[in-house]
Amino acid sequence: MGGYGDVKLLREDGLRLDGRKIDEMRPIEIEAGYLPAADGSAWVKHGLNVAVAAVYGPMEAHPRKIQRQDRCVIDVRYNMAPFSTSDRIRPGYNRRSREISKVTAEALESVVICERYPRSKIRVEIEILSAEAGTRCVGITAAAVALADAGIPMRDLLVGVASGKVEDIVVLDLDKAEDNYGQADLPVGILPNTGEIAFLQMDGDLSPDEFNLAMEYNFKAAAEIHDIMVDALKRRYEGGEN
Amino acid sequence: MSQGQIGAELRLVTPGMAIGPLSGKRVGSGALAQNEQIIATRLGWVRELNDTVSVDPINSTYMPRSGDLIIAIVAEVRNNLWFMNVNGPFQGLLPMSLAPWKVEFGAARQHMGIGDVVMARIQEVDECHNVVLTMKGVGLRRLNEGSVMTIPVNHVERIRGNNNETLLRLRDVCDCRIMVGDNGRVWIDGSAEGTSWARSAIKLASQSGHKLSFAADLAALEKNAPKRGDA
Amino acid sequence: MVALVPTLLRQELARLAENDARIDGRGRWEARDITLETDCLYNGEGSAKVVWGDTIVYAGVKFEMRTPWPDRPNQGSLMCGAELRPVAGRKYEPGPPSPESIELGRVVDRGIRESGCIDMESLCIVPGEKVWGVMIDIHVLSDQGNIFDACALAAIAALRTATVPAERFDVGEDHTLKVNGTPIMASFTRVGGRYVFDPTEEEELGGDERIHITLGDEGHLHSLQKGLKGVFTPDEFAEIFDVAQSRCVELRKLVANQEGN
Repeated sequence: MGGYGDVKLLREDGLRLDGRKIDEMRPIEIEAGYLPAADGSAWVKHGLNVAVAAVYGPMEAHPRKIQRQDRCVIDVRYNMAPFSTSDRIRPGYNRRSREISKVTAEALESVVICERYPRSKIRVEIEILSAEAGTRCVGITAAAVALADAGIPMRDLLVGVASGKVEDIVVLDLDKAEDNYGQADLPVGILPNTGEIAFLQMDGDLSPDEFNLAMEYNFKAAAEIHDIMVDALKRRYEGGEN
Repeated sequence: MSQGQIGAELRLVTPGMAIGPLSGKRVGSGALAQNEQIIATRLGWVRELNDTVSVDPINSTYMPRSGDLIIAIVAEVRNNLWFMNVNGPFQGLLPMSLAPWKVEFGAARQHMGIGDVVMARIQEVDECHNVVLTMKGVGLRRLNEGSVMTIPVNHVERIRGNNNETLLRLRDVCDCRIMVGDNGRVWIDGSAEGTSWARSAIKLASQSGHKLSFAADLAALEKNAPKRGDA
Repeated sequence: MVALVPTLLRQELARLAENDARIDGRGRWEARDITLETDCLYNGEGSAKVVWGDTIVYAGVKFEMRTPWPDRPNQGSLMCGAELRPVAGRKYEPGPPSPESIELGRVVDRGIRESGCIDMESLCIVPGEKVWGVMIDIHVLSDQGNIFDACALAAIAALRTATVPAERFDVGEDHTLKVNGTPIMASFTRVGGRYVFDPTEEEELGGDERIHITLGDEGHLHSLQKGLKGVFTPDEFAEIFDVAQSRCVELRKLVANQEGN
């Protein structure tokens, strides 16, 4: 059996510690246009994760060296606030955040129609206010809603979601204990319209069959999350309101 | 934006959402064709006109086009040209040859400095998004008085209204000159009270100029307008 | 972080000031709408969110267990910092911590520290061995004017509703942090030639220097800071010091209302 020490992550009745089924997502709430002065913004709460994303741009790409003549660049800053985790995070340069910023930017560049804005950059500021496993996925979801809110052209709304494995069982949407003591974590960024994948990371131990099941859970959840993203954007603008 | 579709139901779409089958229709802005479907690429309202399907975005950055009448702010000064903030992704350039005065080489600074606000036109935009402005033309000049506010670019039409109807009405009520730039900047010139009222009215028109309730809301605001003739 | 100031803006602000008016129609000493929420961050031992006009800030309080400084074996520590990250506005370009964000953190810190509202000896667990380190982190999500007052309000509200996590560190029962008093900051900016309370972002753009005044419960001064380029007279200061008294009393009530919950 998997698991770290004697921490049991699955109950006798087959449900998880928080009562969820193995293929059930944590509750998710999304609000578009959360920041009054950003070009686009979003607030996402997923389980106990809270992410806020702001989009500024397109604007001229500075410094010159990051400028591309034929398209815009997506300039992402993913940051965890010092009070977002149970042990405080010292503010400052953080290698993990730097890596997540890079792969998130590359995922978004695969979805945004960058050719529309040569020599420009679009700033995406992702701030994690509260962390409970899966923050990079919440960040992706928040960024996508914020980009749509800003009117940036995209092929699709990118959805962030993760599955993993605990005690040899593949489960959807790991929470904190499952992420700490589980056996695998597979976060992805999915384009629900075409089923393409723009973001992929994985760590742990997964057999090919387990991987396929985890991806199946991810795709199913992505469709649900996508509906909530669309609903958030509609609520902000529907009724000919804006 | 919704003016040409009275009676038609407004449909909000998000990027990646299918609008309908391609079947002979043409794809306009804010959408693309994919697997015989028309897909939205921007958050906005579906518009179908003469068999062309497009999406009117709810939010837009100002993208300068040749001929646009705009309100610009001097951002930098060189010997023979000015860099101008046009409220878009890139600065525009105003060369001394297109300024409204006769400028000696090296004397640009004497005519306009950083922060000066002007009414100008977009002379040309090339494929690399280099923007050139001109101030040679009727009404193009430095603005020495008045105040400037900024509204979202895609709300400019609401402020103007059908045949500038809304704009004329606002001007009339507060006895101010009001000029709406294509780049979303609005210039107001009048008394202190008139200007304050105009600011609130423009904000209202920007937020709800397209709604059915606008006429009533504007009438209510007009009740509080400063009377004409008040200094 | 250099923003472009239109000449017409400064002209307009000056004209408005002559008529005792402001761009958004407020009175000279009038604040925008403020909402304060505490206990809003899951992982913070104390937390607060302030929405002040369109300015939005969060403050989180975290505790750590540490060994005391050798010269103060019976005292814990307090540290307060602020982050003004690019999320806060278009004008905040990415880069290392700016002097603005450092000043913001230090000014809020001094207001709280110098009021003596935290008794450092009450943070002692085992003299010479274990003490509490209290850390306040302020995070500005949206700067639409007057971030100093919004941050100071969030910081003290988070502090006053903080729970000492004794159980997690196995040194006793969780209990409310003992905070004596509620220091409150009121800031004034010169706009159109005269001082006003609670400037919007536009007023700050076209305005000049600012003065931050932190007052304790008895109306005593606990810290002062003048920022940005400009000069003022003793009479001008006397006037805003007077206004600060009533503004601080009102803001203090917002914090008191949260503690009932």
